Amino acid sequence: MTEDEKFFAWLDGELTPAEAADVEAKVAADPQLQQLAEQHRALGAQLSGAFDPIAAAPVPERLQAALHPSADLIDFAAAKRARTRPSLAQWAAMAATLALGIFVGTMVPQRASAPVEVQGGRIYAASALNEALDTQLASAPAGDVRIGLTFRDQAGEICRSFTASASSGLACRNGGRWQLKGLFAAPEGQGSDYRMAAGMDPNLAALVDSAMAGEPLDAAAEKAAKDKGWK
Amino acid sequence: MEQPASFDDQLASLLPRLRRFAHSLARDSADADDLTQATIERALKSRDQWQPGTRLDSWAYRIMRNLWIDTARARSRKSAREAPEEEGLNIGDDPREAMDASVDLKRVMAAMARLPDEQREVVALILVEGFGYREVSEMLSLPIGTVSSRLVRGRTALLAMVGER
Repeated sequence: MTEDEKFFAWLDGELTPAEAADVEAKVAADPQLQQLAEQHRALGAQLSGAFDPIAAAPVPERLQAALHPSADLIDFAAAKRARTRPSLAQWAAMAATLALGIFVGTMVPQRASAPVEVQGGRIYAASALNEALDTQLASAPAGDVRIGLTFRDQAGEICRSFTASASSGLACRNGGRWQLKGLFAAPEGQGSDYRMAAGMDPNLAALVDSAMAGEPLDAAAEKAAKDKGWK
Repeated sequence: MEQPASFDDQLASLLPRLRRFAHSLARDSADADDLTQATIERALKSRDQWQPGTRLDSWAYRIMRNLWIDTARARSRKSAREAPEEEGLNIGDDPREAMDASVDLKRVMAAMARLPDEQREVVALILVEGFGYREVSEMLSLPIGTVSSRLVRGRTALLAMVGER
């Protein structure tokens, strides 16, 4: 160990008592070494002062979350892989969503203006939502409901995705009506403006991808489908 | 840690300290949190390699340091091809800025960021994280004399940069 190294090891409390006593005597006899010791003690305090607040600060959520990888609610990569064909899990999740919808639907007093109505265990669009699905074109948004994609599902029925004030969903033709295939609430605190900017709800996107046969209709085909009563 | 705590609990309680060390290594807050996250993920994946009864903190710090070396190497290869590495602190959305640190504290952090990696890690581990020379020598697989000489050079350079007080 060089003299320098010994001096600092003493400062850091790394020497044996005998060695420490030796350095201490040298320092006591040398004002320059005393000053250096002071400066380095102050430097150590500054370092602690600069970095300790980081350890005292709350740990960001994403780092907390990294500790619990199994807690991920949505596996986006898996959802993407599943898009080529609808997976069982996806449909199970959908069924759960619909079951919740039915439950909520039966709990909510049916009013003339309610956007959905429940009939025979199925949820259908009603009032403003029904009207938007019937008449609105994606290219001409009007009112609170905005139409997203229009496409045919594997059974050949027309489906349309939509966004309302605090939710988005997918409805498909069934028996001359719009049956809801999925309805997803916007994450808390996110209004429709945010969602419009952020794109489609990932759950809805997965549902659309799994339901769609071929490509979405373009504006002309959408208009033609509308003129033919969505058949 | 007196009572035996689970691996996950111990790792969770280490998080704030690991994050502090990451801020010493990475110079930039976003990089530091990325490094912390990568360290947690690696530690969870390699949990079988940790021997119960040994210090989990040393083990986790070592993982972080090795990940940082990999990152730094990949970066210097990239920056050698592209542009000279930026100097000094990146003061974008650094939470440290919001801490209303005094000029002195900012100065000492900026000085740390300018130290060569091999000096900075030793200074951080001993003077900030509070490890002993022996622990650091084992953690970094370096002879204790190398740890000691890097520490002398690092803290001497720091003091010169920070200026006299």
